[in-house]
Amino acid sequence: MKRSALFLGLIVVGISMLLWAGWHNLRERKLAMQRAQQNRVELIPDKAAQSGQSTVEGEEPQLRGKAAPGFALTSLEGKKVSLSDYKGRPVLVNFWATWCGPCKVEMPWFEEFRKQYAGQGFEILGLADDVDAGKDVIAKVAHKTGVSYPILLTDGKVQTAYGGLEVLPMSFYVDKNGLVVEVTAGLGTKDEIEANIKKTIASGSSAGTPAKQVAAGGQ
Amino acid sequence: MRFGVVLAGLILGSGTLVAQIGSLDAPAAKPKQYVSFAAEPQTLKAGAKSVVELNFRVMDGFHVNSHTPKSELLIPTAVTMKPVDGVKVGAVEYPAGTSYSFSFDPSEKLDVYSGAFTVKVPVVAEAGQHTVDGVLKYQACDHAACYPPKSLPVQVVFTAK
Repeated sequence: MKRSALFLGLIVVGISMLLWAGWHNLRERKLAMQRAQQNRVELIPDKAAQSGQSTVEGEEPQLRGKAAPGFALTSLEGKKVSLSDYKGRPVLVNFWATWCGPCKVEMPWFEEFRKQYAGQGFEILGLADDVDAGKDVIAKVAHKTGVSYPILLTDGKVQTAYGGLEVLPMSFYVDKNGLVVEVTAGLGTKDEIEANIKKTIASGSSAGTPAKQVAAGGQ
Repeated sequence: MRFGVVLAGLILGSGTLVAQIGSLDAPAAKPKQYVSFAAEPQTLKAGAKSVVELNFRVMDGFHVNSHTPKSELLIPTAVTMKPVDGVKVGAVEYPAGTSYSFSFDPSEKLDVYSGAFTVKVPVVAEAGQHTVDGVLKYQACDHAACYPPKSLPVQVVFTAK
């Protein structure tokens, strides 16, 4: 009888340990899922067969609605350009690369919209996400696309600050208060780009406290 | 006897419960590579010029530039093999690419690999089993976006007889 009770006790302890291990495993998985959710990719469905977002779930940084990470980079002309220089103006921060075909398709559209919305203070900053291409090659490609907005040479830190950039082109629409209004990955249609620009210009129009900029790349 | 049955039931039941608790679907991971490598052991003639084949597959919906893309701005697909004792590696032979154009820019013709492609590595190996490591460097795009250049480690095991 005593032996049976002891035996039963051992079984209960064993089962309890198994259940605890299961619960612990579940908790760990939930945490892992939460971490994965933080890096969740938002798939934006194609709106047109000719364009749209990338096939792969590009890692969209959690920047929408947050302060755009600040940066101070050198332009092709050797001038120091900071995001904070454009405080109070709507800005499109566009990451592109010389080897990226879709990037070069939208750049002339950007130039067009820059002129169209110049009256509202709209500006574009093109950040070249090229590791190996030299300044001359970047300049040559930028010239070929016909853009006149500032093209900045990246430092590695700015890419990290903007989420690592697993997809190009990648655009961050920053309003007058320095908040990221919209983030797009991959080539969108011209209409989608214009809609995002209008949204960015409209955002932060009401008087508000300028968002505190997060320094990246040293300002 | 009855006690044993109860005991077995409890153990099995708890095991199933634990298994159920631990069977949550893991979140789908973002692919880190757009090309996969299928390693296949190969047998070659020792001391003679032979060819080791490296079989790759580009993920559906993607393409990578061929070894000879049509623009100097594009990043070519290239394989580099590390030197190893007992194996002389020759110049890597690449397949021809296929013509491709983005729908948004039909005028620009690209030269790409999509689906399966095989890279041939000429070798002269001493008798015995050999393991040669290397790396595939490539840059992938889909219909609307491009992805930063990647490096895919490759390892080929072959026996020279």
